[in-house]
Amino acid sequence: MTEAIQIQLKRGVLELCVLAVLSRNDAYAYDIAAQLAKAIDMGEGTIYPLMRRMQTDRLVETYLVESSSGPPRKYYKLTTSGRASLAAQTIEWTAFSEAVNVILGAPQ
Amino acid sequence: MNRETFVEKLRTGLRGLPQTTVDEVMADYEAHFSEGLQAGRTEDEIASALGDPARLARELRTEAGIRRWELERNPSAAAGAIFAILGLGVIDIVILLPILLPVAATLLGFMVASVGIFTGGAIIFVAGPFAGIGHYIAAVMFGGLSLMAGGVSLGALTGLVSIGFVNGLVWFGRLHMRLLKPVLESSEVRP
Repeated sequence: MTEAIQIQLKRGVLELCVLAVLSRNDAYAYDIAAQLAKAIDMGEGTIYPLMRRMQTDRLVETYLVESSSGPPRKYYKLTTSGRASLAAQTIEWTAFSEAVNVILGAPQ
Repeated sequence: MNRETFVEKLRTGLRGLPQTTVDEVMADYEAHFSEGLQAGRTEDEIASALGDPARLARELRTEAGIRRWELERNPSAAAGAIFAILGLGVIDIVILLPILLPVAATLLGFMVASVGIFTGGAIIFVAGPFAGIGHYIAAVMFGGLSLMAGGVSLGALTGLVSIGFVNGLVWFGRLHMRLLKPVLESSEVRP
């Protein structure tokens, strides 16, 4: 049960986390996956279906950068609507998590 | 699981998708392995961190199906999106079937009716003047034309409703994929 809640929570906020990571720096998928996998312990593979969906929804764009080692890397960057979505989701998340914290911390 | 097994399983799971999509997806995961190896991880470590390739393939298929529907809006894309969602097992078919079938049948009925009305109108329009139905040839031809126009509008209307119907399904499927599936998944036995 606890595990189910954890997976659901992580899934729900994964897109928000990716938006936040990309708002600081453009990044390639392995880099994003590595950062998030360490921080919130998720399957690295799920980043790729998510990136494709975010591309479909035009939240991110890609461009290629030549790499000194191996083939060119595909970098992701936020679009304008990606930034707007990050702002909106951040507000939602903050309000939601504060509300939950208040309930959890309420005296019995 | 090594790199080769993972890649093979993923490729098998993606079979049937457009070649360009498969190539793009495979390139993403191949690049992931290369980056991981450079970072000093083993193929086994990378593969297990990526997760189950069959499950990933199902998610990617659904995404590709929905994307095609959003781009193309034709019956084959609609079928693709619906089957991908069904394949993911996110729509409870037992609950939905009694709702879906009558709606789909009604839409099909309207489509057939609009084709029928159009054809009927065309026959009256063409054959009317020769069949000797009274002396009002112009009226008969005009009546045939109106029927044809009616058939076209009914068909267009049905098309619009059908598009809305498939959009609703896609929305429903995505909602389930995000909210329900993680719960179902976590109850599966893990190694």
